[in-house]
Amino acid sequence: MGKVKIKRKSTLIDMTAMSDVTVLLLTFFMLTSTFLQKEPVTVITPSSVSEIKVPTSNVVNVLVSPQGKIFMSLAGDADAENAEEWGSEPLRKEVLKKAASRYEELTGKKLGITQMDVEKFAKNASFGIPLEKMHEFLMLDQTKQDEWIGDPNRPDAGIPLKEIKYNTPDGPVTTNEFQIWMRAIYNSSNPNIHDAIQKGEGIAIKADRGTKFETIHPVLDNLQTIKMNKFSVMTALKDQAD
Amino acid sequence: MAQIEQSSGGKKKKGAQKKMSIHVDFTPMVDMNMLLITFFMLCTTMIKSQTLSIALPTNEKLQQEELQKAKESEAITLILDTSYDDKGGIKENTVYYYTGKPEAEFNGSQLVKSNIQVARFKGDDTEHGIRSILHKRNEAVLKKVEEQKDRWRNKEITEEQFQAEAKKIRNDEKLTRPVVIIKPLEGASWESLISALDEMQINQISRYQIGTLTDVDKAMVFETPEFKKAHSHEDK
Repeated sequence: MGKVKIKRKSTLIDMTAMSDVTVLLLTFFMLTSTFLQKEPVTVITPSSVSEIKVPTSNVVNVLVSPQGKIFMSLAGDADAENAEEWGSEPLRKEVLKKAASRYEELTGKKLGITQMDVEKFAKNASFGIPLEKMHEFLMLDQTKQDEWIGDPNRPDAGIPLKEIKYNTPDGPVTTNEFQIWMRAIYNSSNPNIHDAIQKGEGIAIKADRGTKFETIHPVLDNLQTIKMNKFSVMTALKDQAD
Repeated sequence: MAQIEQSSGGKKKKGAQKKMSIHVDFTPMVDMNMLLITFFMLCTTMIKSQTLSIALPTNEKLQQEELQKAKESEAITLILDTSYDDKGGIKENTVYYYTGKPEAEFNGSQLVKSNIQVARFKGDDTEHGIRSILHKRNEAVLKKVEEQKDRWRNKEITEEQFQAEAKKIRNDEKLTRPVVIIKPLEGASWESLISALDEMQINQISRYQIGTLTDVDKAMVFETPEFKKAHSHEDK
């Protein structure tokens, strides 16, 4: 009997096909993804049957934390043609400048916000700091900023609803920083966000399902006061069990 | 595939190298790709959150008066309340409701008689769910909408046409439509308010508003046995 020669086979597996597949998947995820927005607090939104999707452009998100702190995030026009003028970054710059100058005008205080602060501010989608502390806040590095905003016990996080009184020819009027911000956004040079707010798509309120009504009521009340009484609230899709 | 075979053609030189194949190992590349995929999968939001649009009346008196003019028989007031468990989580959302004007008879601070009733948010049309109550109130509108829906299902009209028709029906002055006033108590959860607004959508109710509680409303709710029961552990 002749000896059967067993050929030594190499154990190499050809990974080329696998690599092809993974690259395809990777491309898919890269193209379809929109990144999770970094938010100061995580909230679980209540569910509803509504199927209207949240717009990603020309929208201001108002996030109300369970402690009643207000944070905002602002997105400008997504159209590449308008990116220079009305994209998110130019819009945020304009809004900060407008809000700051209005605040200075009403209170007579100097905020000392520099051009560098404005540039830094534009990079972050969400904000929620009293205007007086804005300069101090923007001087910090990213991690310190996140700590500041994310600390639920810090009194100087969130947009304050403290009354600001000023005199007009018609008599004294009160406003607050939240109203100043909302007006600054509404009056920005981007006509699309203006239209969106009028239609009620431009403002999205997000709050935790367990947050009490008394905590959110001031926000709704302030929006009513500045006649932005059409807005949307963020909800999750209702599942069958509910 | 991932190897390059050197051609054995050409002139054979003396001491020419043997046929050689160059393997490229793709395993690290696959590893890296997998890592990247994992990263993208975890960092993306595939499902965008939904929005529910609401329009509140302006703070001007005009619209409020208009709502008050609405027939009393058409008005229904929902008072929302939530009880919480020890950890602050939602235990239950409750709706107290009355139709027309509040009717309450007090004997001292004791509530003797009132027209307040209790319901719950239930997905099904059970008897004590607020949905069936609102459904009954808005039957005229819902019936007409359903007719249009059937036409849509039978492909007689497109979805856009159906939506336009439904909107027309919802705002039809001739039909008896309820006016819903939602009054959340201070302790009511955001979820209960959204659920209430959601019921408006489900039941095709076009006239609703978020109102503020009156003293009578509060007194009536606080005196109901259900309210006392729901909040009994909080007082301790």
